[in-house]
Amino acid sequence: MKIKKGFELREVCGENIIVAYGKENIDFNKVISLNESASFLWRAISEKDFTAETLTSLLCEEYEVDLETAKKDAQSLLDEWKKVGLVEE
Amino acid sequence: MSGNLKTIIKRLVRILLTPWRKRYRRRNGTVSNQPRHELPNDVWLGEVSQMLREGKPYAIYVKGYSMRPFIEHTRDRVFLEKRDSYNVGDAVLAQIAPGHYVLHRIIKKQGDNLTLQGDGNIRGVEHCLEQNVSGVVTQYIRPNRIIPADDPKLMCRIRLWRKLRPIRRYLLFIYKAIV
Repeated sequence: MKIKKGFELREVCGENIIVAYGKENIDFNKVISLNESASFLWRAISEKDFTAETLTSLLCEEYEVDLETAKKDAQSLLDEWKKVGLVEE
Repeated sequence: MSGNLKTIIKRLVRILLTPWRKRYRRRNGTVSNQPRHELPNDVWLGEVSQMLREGKPYAIYVKGYSMRPFIEHTRDRVFLEKRDSYNVGDAVLAQIAPGHYVLHRIIKKQGDNLTLQGDGNIRGVEHCLEQNVSGVVTQYIRPNRIIPADDPKLMCRIRLWRKLRPIRRYLLFIYKAIV
């Protein structure tokens, strides 16, 4: 899966926020704020295909976290992104 | 006009227009009660302006009453796009002073000099250069429909609204009573 076209991470007022631009996203009226680790993951997989395993590996490489926790958090984040409509297969 | 007389007239208008007010409200979409996170205007609109200049059209919620009756405070969104040039009649996002942005309509253009006025404003105007405009409204996004800015009926209503500027104050008074 990958991030939908038109969704971009921007830093505004010290916050990392996702905005959706373009006609195809005209109905998307949310602005999503990401914390530091979610922003790190977003930047790492931007414009690339990824899976939950990709996110898990990235978390384990970057942070001091055990595999199980990283797997659980990565899946939880991915589910949230899917629910909000940020990613597509 | 004295304060008491104004109040009495307002109440009378509400009573007379109540059936139409109720009908008008039923046609409107319900306002979402999801929490909104608001950024300072100058910061957020500055970011939106930057996105537009990067060629990324974007839709924003509109705050304020200065574009009534065509754009309603927090109910409506507008889709903004960058253009090479802007014309009289365009509703544009423009920087009129450092950190100060407005979403108003161009009422006069002389070369690069633009005069802007909010549809809901009676006297106040703003001036800026065309290069200070980041984008134009191309879609008016209401809760239950999207109206393109070049819709002939809408353009006709906007032209008529401009012609009725001498009595705009009274029309807005009636509009506020209905809404």
